[in-house]
Amino acid sequence: MAVNDNASFEITAFKWVPDFAQGFVRDLRPRWACEEIGLDYSQRLLGLERPDSYFAEQPWGQVPVINDGGVRMFESGAILLHIAEKDERLMRRDPQSRASTISWLFAAYNSIEPLFFELGNIDLFSKGEQWAELRRPGLVEFLGQRLDRLATALGDRQWLLGEFSVADIAMVTVLREGKEDDVIRSRPSLAAYVDRGEARPAFGRALAAQLAVFKEHEPVAA
Amino acid sequence: MPVDPDAKIEITAYKSVPPFAQGHIKDVRIRWALEEIGQPYRARLIGGIFEEKPQEYLAEQPFGQVPVYKEDGLTLFESGSILINIGEKDERLLPRDNAGRGRAISWMIAALNSVEPPLQTLIVIDVFGDGKDWHDGAKAAALPFARKQLANLSRALGDREWLEDSFTIGDLVMIHVLREADELIEPHPNLIAYVERGTSRPAFQRAMTAHLEDCAVQELQPA
Repeated sequence: MAVNDNASFEITAFKWVPDFAQGFVRDLRPRWACEEIGLDYSQRLLGLERPDSYFAEQPWGQVPVINDGGVRMFESGAILLHIAEKDERLMRRDPQSRASTISWLFAAYNSIEPLFFELGNIDLFSKGEQWAELRRPGLVEFLGQRLDRLATALGDRQWLLGEFSVADIAMVTVLREGKEDDVIRSRPSLAAYVDRGEARPAFGRALAAQLAVFKEHEPVAA
Repeated sequence: MPVDPDAKIEITAYKSVPPFAQGHIKDVRIRWALEEIGQPYRARLIGGIFEEKPQEYLAEQPFGQVPVYKEDGLTLFESGSILINIGEKDERLLPRDNAGRGRAISWMIAALNSVEPPLQTLIVIDVFGDGKDWHDGAKAAALPFARKQLANLSRALGDREWLEDSFTIGDLVMIHVLREADELIEPHPNLIAYVERGTSRPAFQRAMTAHLEDCAVQELQPA
């Protein structure tokens, strides 16, 4: 287990979130990275009613935030890069591998995930609204074109760079947001890629650690 | 002038871009960073923004976008990734100490993943949804989140000059992203002044001039 109350690497996470978000809150990403390299981390847990002071640490009031011996970072993508610098199992040291790893991590965060945010706005937060039904096909087509190109780039490799890297942690966690949707299911190579990521023991431990916190803090039904 | 046809650093840019997108394309970020540290570069112009890209280009940039960055046999894509590479050359863009580096990269990802997506969504709605039956509903649904992100950013910046103690790649991307905010920025005088401070830097202005010259290049007419 990488969760260790005495570890100097601290990850901030929520005590509890509603069902639809469980397993998808973004502290999952640094937890996974820590598990891959056996880096122990401690947890600081926040209620959903964040104190005002928390916004000084994280401008959007979101998780995760980390404190790594005085290095204080926010935004899961930045944190993943920070962890990857510690261990070449997450980012190979030769210059082109390093460059490609970082490029793919940003592709996940800036070229793919924003389109899943839009899809989430339609399917989750505006479900049943007329505009959402009218807008969805065009968005799915655009997202689909981008995913086709991602599938082409992945080809028949196991991971984006051939060997597993932090870029796969970023891309798999982004793609699994649409895992149950046709947009991923209709692209078997991407669906298999997500399955491979989720099958890694480190992913399983990270997910279990996040869910264990929610279970422990589950609100008591009235 | 860092634009130099013999430079060892090459970036790609579009040679035609519709007026609404000129100035907002991501090669501006790379040009700006290189201008800040006086690194010469040359631009390789690829087709128009909406043209199908050849297979060779898709092998360099999986989504057919710009910029791609090449230097001494090293190839990078995605502006955020390229900016880390450039920042590592010069601490005027990316502090060397772990704490300062961590803050700068946190802010840069914040710009790319927490501020740009809601603003980009609004642009897509206005440009591609113009006259469509989903336009008004989509816009009404997207506005509150975009407004909230800008309000939180305004609070985080406060009365500081830059997001941290000195200008970094985090500010560079955030300021370029905020140029997409249009009237949504109006309730926040500190953000308006912040964008103004960034865009009045000589390096930004040289970058923008070079970008605009390149993306307005017309196809050569057949002789």
